[in-house]
Amino acid sequence: MDERPEELLVEEARKGGREAFAELARRHERRVHGVVLRMAGNVSDADDLAQEVFLTAWKAIGSFRSGSSFYTWLYRIAVNTSLTFLKKRGREKARAPFDENLPVGAAALGLSRGPEAGAVANELAARIGEAVAALPVHFRAAFALVVDQGLSHAAAARVLGCSENTVSWRMHKARKILQARLKPYLEEVRS
Amino acid sequence: MRCAPARKRLSDALDGALRPGRKPGVEAHVKACESCRSYRDGLARIQAGAALPDAHPPEFWAAFERGLERKLAAAEAGRATVVPALAVRRRLAWAAAAAMVLAGAGIWYALLRPQMPVTEAWVPYEDVLDPFVEAAEADPELAASVDREVRAAIDEMTPARDADAVVLSAADPLFWEALSDDELEDIIAELEDETGRGGPL
Repeated sequence: MDERPEELLVEEARKGGREAFAELARRHERRVHGVVLRMAGNVSDADDLAQEVFLTAWKAIGSFRSGSSFYTWLYRIAVNTSLTFLKKRGREKARAPFDENLPVGAAALGLSRGPEAGAVANELAARIGEAVAALPVHFRAAFALVVDQGLSHAAAARVLGCSENTVSWRMHKARKILQARLKPYLEEVRS
Repeated sequence: MRCAPARKRLSDALDGALRPGRKPGVEAHVKACESCRSYRDGLARIQAGAALPDAHPPEFWAAFERGLERKLAAAEAGRATVVPALAVRRRLAWAAAAAMVLAGAGIWYALLRPQMPVTEAWVPYEDVLDPFVEAAEADPELAASVDREVRAAIDEMTPARDADAVVLSAADPLFWEALSDDELEDIIAELEDETGRGGPL
């Protein structure tokens, strides 16, 4: 395990150190993959997008300003790469409205929670994944950063290039949409 | 507090973004409002159920890193080949710029160069005239003909004498007035030597 501090790795990568950048990629690959998975909505696209994110970052590392937060910069590339991808595919326009008969979320994402998870919890998780995937893209980006990655509103605002208040409102509206779409399942779980 | 702001604050609270001063008001509202209590419970379930499980086993990440390493290496190699190509293009650009400057200088020299005096323009033709001069020397008639032509050409080129031009001579009083005392003394001495009578003074 490479113990070098991230600032040192970033500095070496900025000077062209590919090995240092590869170590940075190792440290952030799961989180970046999580963001693009939430944005893209399926594993195979997410795998390609994650590679593209790091390749873009490697090409642009020279423009990264010392003293800035590397993960903020990397998340921004991840979100922008995902938005470009979605725009290119026209997925947002063609996105079907939420349908309870669609394949369940986790399964659609290509994920499995393992046998230890209960059937009801699996079902709810699948529906939640499906509903999140159907959120408007900017709400989804905020959800991916705040809920999945645990970023504060301030950090998410820096990544998304908006105000904290905007992130707060996007999260509130995203949750209202999810509540409305998942109401039957939430009641089922409660009962 | 109404339900709408309470629900917005419940969302903030889940993200750890609720200002501490607002927490008691929200709690009081939720305690009194059945609908908002249900809403809060729903939010908590969604939050708990939204966590993404790790999508891939460790083998996937090893393959991911190998694939990324290959792409980074390819990008670096591409960058290395692009740099010399750019250098070549830069050299070509400099060469093209130099050629344009030279062409501009040539055009300027051809069109706008200062006109040289006629006497200098004759110099390159001296060698051309040599065979004619030699032929004229061998033939007296031709020599006389050439001589006439040359004299006529010289007369033609010689500026006409201005009839109004003032030509100072010893008979002109201005000639003498223009002389300094030393020059005048020298002339007087020379005239005395030549004639023994001195000048007009």
